[in-house]
Amino acid sequence: MKPLLLAALLTLTPAARAEETAPSAEARIKSLEERLAKLEGAPAKTSQSAFNPAMGAALDLAYSHTNGPSNFSFRAAELNVESAIDPFLKGWFILVGSRAEVTIEEAALQTTALPYNLTVTGGRLFASFGRLAHFHDHELPVVERPRSLDAFIGGETQADGVEVSYLFPTPFYLTATAGAYNKLGGDNARRANADARTMDNFTYLGRLAAYTDLGDDHSVELGLTEAWTPKRFVNETAVPGISTRKNTWRSLAGADLTYRYQPSAGGSLRGAVWSTEVMQNNERRFDSATDLPTDRVRSYAGFSYVELKAGRHWRPGVMVDLTEDLDRARTLTRTFTAFVTYDATEFQRLRLAFSRTTDNLPTGRASDTVALQWTGVFGKHVHGFRDR
Amino acid sequence: MRTTALAAALLLAASVSARAAKLRVVATLPELVDIASRVGGDLVAVDGLARGTEDIHQIVMKPSFVSKLNRADAVVYLGLTVEHVFLPGLLDVARNPKMRPDPDTSNCLGSGCIDCSAGVKVLDKPETLSRAQGEIHPQGNPHYNLDPENGRVIARNIAAGLSRVDPAHAADYEKNLKAYLAELEPKLAEWRKLAAPLKGVKAVSYHKDVPYLGAFTGIEFVDTIELKPGVAPTPTHLAELVGKMKEKKVTLIVREQQYDAKTPAWLAEQTGAKVAVIGTMANSLPGSETFIKLSEANLKNLLKAAAP
Repeated sequence: MKPLLLAALLTLTPAARAEETAPSAEARIKSLEERLAKLEGAPAKTSQSAFNPAMGAALDLAYSHTNGPSNFSFRAAELNVESAIDPFLKGWFILVGSRAEVTIEEAALQTTALPYNLTVTGGRLFASFGRLAHFHDHELPVVERPRSLDAFIGGETQADGVEVSYLFPTPFYLTATAGAYNKLGGDNARRANADARTMDNFTYLGRLAAYTDLGDDHSVELGLTEAWTPKRFVNETAVPGISTRKNTWRSLAGADLTYRYQPSAGGSLRGAVWSTEVMQNNERRFDSATDLPTDRVRSYAGFSYVELKAGRHWRPGVMVDLTEDLDRARTLTRTFTAFVTYDATEFQRLRLAFSRTTDNLPTGRASDTVALQWTGVFGKHVHGFRDR
Repeated sequence: MRTTALAAALLLAASVSARAAKLRVVATLPELVDIASRVGGDLVAVDGLARGTEDIHQIVMKPSFVSKLNRADAVVYLGLTVEHVFLPGLLDVARNPKMRPDPDTSNCLGSGCIDCSAGVKVLDKPETLSRAQGEIHPQGNPHYNLDPENGRVIARNIAAGLSRVDPAHAADYEKNLKAYLAELEPKLAEWRKLAAPLKGVKAVSYHKDVPYLGAFTGIEFVDTIELKPGVAPTPTHLAELVGKMKEKKVTLIVREQQYDAKTPAWLAEQTGAKVAVIGTMANSLPGSETFIKLSEANLKNLLKAAAP
């Protein structure tokens, strides 16, 4: 009797235990539903692409016609690659191929977790001078970079160096940026980028930027920048070994003001931007043939533009640029540009622009340019805050 | 005089410290501000980013948003990349370790991120990712806030997120959640009954942001005025759409208030369908300041336009 009872107990116990531990059908369905919901809400990223950097590209093409001759121009194919490196750092590089060359336009590391609202960026970067100066060409509101930026900065504010920026913990937006670079400006030919130099030959930058809302629909941003190069050694071409070192400091100061009208909805006018930037360059100039020093010249340049957002697709605007010659401050070049941008989609844009350039030289004549630009963006596309 | 000044200073200091003691929450959309305020109660101070009347795909990054996010303890967002034009860019410069953008996916990373889409039954998940399909969202259609039933999911996610960020007050958030759901549930039952006449009504919308609304109301959305998501209609597409609407006996055109009124009006003229204007965020229509009021306003406008 006893063995039978024991056997019966042994047979029943696991089943009883299983009944006790097995989840009910309702609990299992609930668990499955939760897992399914997680899967349905999960990002589409697969393991095959995990840890690969995000990539995007922009193609920028243009047709231009200046005083007779015309030209189709492949302006740039820009590839950008970006990724988090670790919990404290991210990195990116931007490779740009144009008709003439392939270059690395940016290659930088940036901290993401520093305390006290600090961010450090190092490498090849677009320095924080002014506003449009650090926009990539295809992100500008006009086809051609304003002449004043080309003349005073040397194209984009590309610079090899390091930048530290600080966001003030205030209820309103205020940032301060300090930077040190080999030189400022991708096309700045004052000094070769690869040369080693003493500390007083670097360019140092300081910038303050503030912003305020003026009600719901209006806002104003103001920035003040100073790029200071304490010294520059210029070797004379005619007599090798002799160089000018005295009184060679350069100061490039800038102020930028941007007003935005952003109504929340309705009407044919969906927004407007008015932006003005003024620069003062103060430096000792050198004869371009002999590299002998000439005078210290203080020149001014700047531009102002208005762009309207009319409806979903159209953005017409006008820009005026005034640029004094860096060697002869009284020689002024004026460029008037009218442009209209058609945003076919978020990723495709067409732009038509007409520019008239005149100067105040007795021999000067007007130069007219009509340009049509076609830009497409593909791959990862992020709306950056700085270049908004 | 001195005593009055001292009392005023003390009052000011007390009010500042009371505000400082509150959890600082930033919510991207007005309906999230509403629900976060309800669930958070007196324990949170909620700031919003979007005003509600904008196109959610074109919200502009204002530097004042950066300052708000910099000082926030938590950010509440709809998710599924619907805020991709402004939130990752803002988080990138807000320097708040509690909420960082993931450079690979543009998602929010950190203890302060409260994603309201967790657990949502996502519709329209793309099988392939190609811009040839228009401006699609890789994780699926993100406009789930248009289904009133998802008010529950949003509120629960906010309560769970606030409890995670501020565990000391988890019981308070749970209590507030229950109170909010107690208000929402009877409304849902009422709206389900109200929506009955909409079941099976054939419609087109301007943008493909209505599948969730369709799931709740039973409206069958057969096409969009846009050629593809985010791509404006072409004349050929509109001509084909007129034919399709006539063939399928479409009687309703849904225009989201941020889109132009001309094309839907022209379409209505061509097909005899009626236009209903809906909001895609709270505050987008008059009297739609909260999630509940937005859901109600949308339903009423749809019923009015669909009435025989």
